[in-house]
Amino acid sequence: MVTKVLCVAEKPSIAKAVANHLAGGQVQTRNVQGNPYVKNYEFSYNFPTWGQCSVTMTSVLGHLTSHEFDPQYKSWRSCDPSALFEARIDTIVEDDKKPVAENIKRQAAYNKVLYIWTDCDREGENIGTEIRSVATQGNQSFRQPGNTVRARFSNIERAHIINAARSPVQLDEAQSNAVSARIELDLRIGASFTRNLTMSLQPMLQQRSGEDRSQVISYGSCQFPTLGFVVERYIRVRNFVPETLWGIKVMHEKDRIKVNFNWARGHLFDRMAVIILFERCLTAKTARVTKVQTKPTSKWKPLPLTTVELQKCGSRFLRLDSQRVMQVAEQLYQKGWISYPRTETDQFDRGMDLRALVQKQTQGGPWTQFAQDLMNGGFSQPRSGRNNDKAHPPIHPVNFVVPASLSQEEQRVHEFVVRRFLACCSQDARGSKTEISILYGSEIFNTSGLVVLEQNYLDVYPYDKWTSSQDLPDFREGEVFEPTEARMNEGQTSPPGYLTEPELIALMDANGIGTDATMAEHIAKIKDRDYVQTRPRARQQRQQGEEEEYEPAEAAEPDAGAGRGRGRGRARARGGRGGGAGRGGGATTGVQEFIPTTLGVALVEGYENMGFETSLTKPFLRKEMELRMKAICEGRKTKAEVVHESIEQYRDVYIRTQQRLDSLRAVTGTLVGTPGQNGILVSGTE
Amino acid sequence: MASQRQYAATPAMASGNAEDVAASISAFLASKHVPPTQAWMNGFMSTIRLNTPIVALQKTALFRLLATDITTSITKSPASCFAANITDPQVKEKHVRGPITVQVLDIEDIGRSRWSQVEAIEAQERGETTKGREVIRVVPDENSSDAATQTESKSSGPHKLLLQDAYGMHVYAMELTPINGVGVQMAIGAKLVLKDFIVARGVLLLEPRNVEMLGGKADTWDKKWREDRKKVLKEKAA
Repeated sequence: MVTKVLCVAEKPSIAKAVANHLAGGQVQTRNVQGNPYVKNYEFSYNFPTWGQCSVTMTSVLGHLTSHEFDPQYKSWRSCDPSALFEARIDTIVEDDKKPVAENIKRQAAYNKVLYIWTDCDREGENIGTEIRSVATQGNQSFRQPGNTVRARFSNIERAHIINAARSPVQLDEAQSNAVSARIELDLRIGASFTRNLTMSLQPMLQQRSGEDRSQVISYGSCQFPTLGFVVERYIRVRNFVPETLWGIKVMHEKDRIKVNFNWARGHLFDRMAVIILFERCLTAKTARVTKVQTKPTSKWKPLPLTTVELQKCGSRFLRLDSQRVMQVAEQLYQKGWISYPRTETDQFDRGMDLRALVQKQTQGGPWTQFAQDLMNGGFSQPRSGRNNDKAHPPIHPVNFVVPASLSQEEQRVHEFVVRRFLACCSQDARGSKTEISILYGSEIFNTSGLVVLEQNYLDVYPYDKWTSSQDLPDFREGEVFEPTEARMNEGQTSPPGYLTEPELIALMDANGIGTDATMAEHIAKIKDRDYVQTRPRARQQRQQGEEEEYEPAEAAEPDAGAGRGRGRGRARARGGRGGGAGRGGGATTGVQEFIPTTLGVALVEGYENMGFETSLTKPFLRKEMELRMKAICEGRKTKAEVVHESIEQYRDVYIRTQQRLDSLRAVTGTLVGTPGQNGILVSGTE
Repeated sequence: MASQRQYAATPAMASGNAEDVAASISAFLASKHVPPTQAWMNGFMSTIRLNTPIVALQKTALFRLLATDITTSITKSPASCFAANITDPQVKEKHVRGPITVQVLDIEDIGRSRWSQVEAIEAQERGETTKGREVIRVVPDENSSDAATQTESKSSGPHKLLLQDAYGMHVYAMELTPINGVGVQMAIGAKLVLKDFIVARGVLLLEPRNVEMLGGKADTWDKKWREDRKKVLKEKAA
């Protein structure tokens, strides 16, 4: 008796790829009534667990079910917003997903085993349980543990998929529950605060700005802290007071080389102090060399690639904002070129055959020779970071693909992933560093010289820079000389820049809000909601000695197709194009910086004014929620406990907000909408 | 000091004789470079029990004296105070033997911009340094070679101090190398004994070997200093 297995993936492209891998091409495709994207793929396969099977592989389109409040709470006027903390939540299938759900139910009736093939992360686990619950409506037996299983896979490469297919595991209920908890909390907290904020502030905002359009002020427990970071930096920049600073510069010419020595104290903010110290240097007349040290030094190759790192580098080097980078990476994953792009792991498992992956990259692309050299003995085990989410390896290329067959954006991201991976498998760059210290009067001055001896990983990874400095003349310890030139100089402190996307991502990561999977979405949301705007950062003055950052070659046209030259031309577009208020997403000129709108500032200031326990714009509430999610995954807390704890925390804030609503209104009122003001705080010419 | 050793070696009860007790306490305080005025001693003697162990009395006396304003509580002499022309900026360099006892009236971290110090205070006021509620605002960039800006916000010193001797004279001093106990968390009104130091253009240059930290504090000054600090820093920055 042939066993019938129903496989369900998260997206149609995955279903198609897996079906073809397993079936070796012998696949029969059937349409699904009501939806043009989802297909049912029928084929035979011999699973070790069940023997020869007749398989139907299909997919859903992301989440199958969604959650809504009981209809009686639907209208905003129907209840006090705080009632939503306890209101009943229904699980429903939205209209556009109904055909997909129907397909699953129908197919379920014919099959004995349900095999889940959703992506292996928390959301995927949750979607897996949704699929199971819908499938169970068509076939009760799926509820029994042995009849529903799950595939564990990290990329869409053939051998990997076949291997995964042969070793099914159980769905991870804990992870699924963590996501359910998050969904419930986001719904309850998001809705109650959104309604409350909007109803409290809307009348006043409308009056001030004179607009008819009613504006919804939406709240999200992660968006607000993200907004908080942007606003805080903005205010820091606006309030900044430049101060004068003083330093001492010593230059000595020897062997026809001009050597600049840096003051060990850097600079001081008291003029008199510096004058006195400087005078003592001059009085001493000569300087004595106290240390001459030459030692080998290296620039470490990069760590294996995580999602956060990909997003940061995407912003810095690839001129793609974090949301776009993740979309492109997702496409590359679905096509089978790179591994699953949502991972926190920055260490490669010892057992992984990295050489085989390097071997694949010798087939073409600008890195062919480098990959070949690695195979010929240059290979070196990658560094290990400290993180391992136990679900997926670091992002790496899985197969070889001719770059020209990818879209222009895909090429940029793919190239980055390949180069990063090859760099990980190379040696550190090596050099020799000479450090010299002198004692001049009572003050110490230092200088250093670098000779880069071996580029190693830098040859394949142009995103890092390390160049030899000028040669240093010979100095001996104990040598005494009279410096050619010694003078005092004056400078000024300058304000920090507005937050750029890589900085924002780094802050979110450091403060524990947003997971790798969601950070980009939260950033996109605050742009969508008009809380912030982006603009290209003006080119800044290069400091002396500062390395120039990697610039990608600018494309003539997006998606120019095959045969595009890969020259590193410096014809980059000027960053100031279009100035101010453009919507940031996907812009490719210059690093984007975030400027809050007047509404964004008003909300943050309003909450700041209400006192520290209420501050929704600080990260700690969300951070604690994220930690509780983790506890559910690790089995230390139940979903019910976490939902209860978080609701209580936010309810507390809700009550305090109510008590001090006037304060919030006052601040929002002053900052927003003097008639005619359109919410743009910084002009394009600044 | 011979006298100090002599008294420390006799951990006996006080003789009960007020005069002897006062003399021994005075001598002890003098050995610590804070010789009390008669008026202060009288005030102190009226608060003690004569049969307390002498070492305890000495310690208590020192503790209390260190909490006073030395311009009123210790005896003055030219040898123990600054010369009148010490702040003369025309004098390039001068060497002073001391020992001179001073109290700290003000202290500034001149290695950091005042604005960054204001920001640090504001972050603390917003509760961002409270345990469990910390907000990280600057993430060290692995690739950044700009060490100067990274360390600027965390550096401590060098420090510039405003010192006052027993005559009430104000003098500025600067740490040449870091001195233990000197920093913006030190108490205003703390007492120091300075020895063998250089004065350059009217500013004392201090190193650990020049400074003996006696400690102590002037409560009201310290409190006011801390309350006003943010405002003062803001004014100085502008």
